[in-house]
Amino acid sequence: MKSRMKKILAGLAALVVAASIWLPCLHLLFARPLSDFRQDQSLSPKARQLAARHLQLWTDPALREQELQKMRASNAEWDFMGRSYLVWSLANMALRDPASKPLYLQTMDQIIDETLRLEKQEGMYFFLMPYAKERHYLVQPAHSLFLDSEIALMLAARRVVEEKPEYKPLLTGRVNAMVERFQKSPQMLLESYPDECWMFDHCVALDALKMADYLDGSDHSALIRDWIAMAKQKLVHRDSGLLVSSFTTDGTPLAGPEGSSIWMVAHSLQLLDEDFARDQYRRARKELGEITLGFGYAHEWPASWKGEANIDSGPIIPGFEISAGSSGMAFIGASTFDDDKFLASLAATLDFAGFPSRTHGRLKYCASNQVGDAALLYAATLGPLWQKVKTGARP
Amino acid sequence: MIKKFWQKPAVFRRAEFLSARDLLQRALGISVLFLLAHLAGLCEFTSVLNGTVGSTAVNVKLGTFLAAVYILLYLAFVILVPVLVLAALILMVWQRCVRKEENFPGPRT
Repeated sequence: MKSRMKKILAGLAALVVAASIWLPCLHLLFARPLSDFRQDQSLSPKARQLAARHLQLWTDPALREQELQKMRASNAEWDFMGRSYLVWSLANMALRDPASKPLYLQTMDQIIDETLRLEKQEGMYFFLMPYAKERHYLVQPAHSLFLDSEIALMLAARRVVEEKPEYKPLLTGRVNAMVERFQKSPQMLLESYPDECWMFDHCVALDALKMADYLDGSDHSALIRDWIAMAKQKLVHRDSGLLVSSFTTDGTPLAGPEGSSIWMVAHSLQLLDEDFARDQYRRARKELGEITLGFGYAHEWPASWKGEANIDSGPIIPGFEISAGSSGMAFIGASTFDDDKFLASLAATLDFAGFPSRTHGRLKYCASNQVGDAALLYAATLGPLWQKVKTGARP
Repeated sequence: MIKKFWQKPAVFRRAEFLSARDLLQRALGISVLFLLAHLAGLCEFTSVLNGTVGSTAVNVKLGTFLAAVYILLYLAFVILVPVLVLAALILMVWQRCVRKEENFPGPRT
């Protein structure tokens, strides 16, 4: 009996020693050079593989329908955002890889045309969650800044890569409509859902204005400056210093700072106010970003804010409080601000827990979906589009 | 001869709890189960991690269950299996050292 107990104790001790050796080494199994995910000038292997999968979706209607159905069963917004992120990615890819520009432009046009057709044919509610119909928009006729901002940025991104005359009036119309609504709104806050405004959408809208200025010689710099000044004053969460995610049209916060939003917000702000953008990223990294045993991930909320898991955060993994939504979007923040250590650790987590699936040089992450993969592709390719607009040389 | 043929190979014979062979058997069991889950395509259901249904062909509850099965087996495969194998190696080395010590109790005076 004594001998048996001794053997069990020896077995347990061996397990403890083995675990203390293996766990700190686990990340090495998934760690890759950062150039595998993002490269400064050209396209990384992962970007090419992710893009190949997305291009396949846009050449195989049955496959696309299957993917979109899965996402729309949870959230119609994802169908729309998957299009936006893919178009923005392809714009960056076309600037990085001019030889493939014709293919990328063709796909961008296909996505933009189909999105505009669906918006016209089915109405704006087609890409919104059902609760958009439960109340009336305060400002009539109803517009969703969610749709207007991302469509405007898609059109602008396409035109920055190469001018397409048919898209010029479409961008101007969309930009003028947003500007008019900004000017009419007492707080400069526009609805995405009835009396529900989103920081993400406002920042993307301002990016579109900035790009319209670059493309067409307009000047919305005063509006952009005033809006950012207002946001710094009214829409910052006091404890964390982070911009809040959503608010009513009178500026009352609805949700606090959220990881699923702030990483992209910091990226968007980079085109508008570099210092403020960097400050927001630094705070988000401190409040939300974590690296444990070599694996990077992000929380949805800072410690000073209590929130409930929602469609944007995705399920929260207890213990570590990992949010899939925030962790995915953290790639965009880390890539924008060249936070290589965090980006490499996020990439290790992605290969560990994202369940990569490769077939014929095409990559998808099973734990993700089309919009998630498109956001990752954007993180792997972003840079040249912002750079081109920031340098200010006319196209 | 026939009896010997039907005898279980050593790897399947019941081993003493937490012995090196027991640990290796458990590692093998987990690896086989994970391989089966992977070949069955359960990986596709892991999209529940971001709130997307894995397949529109099965209901959400079943999809979530299949995802949980796959994720647990995967975590066991990448975390537990190496730990079990390492622990088995440590035990084997330790037992060999102990045996050596017993065979060579020290210098005679």
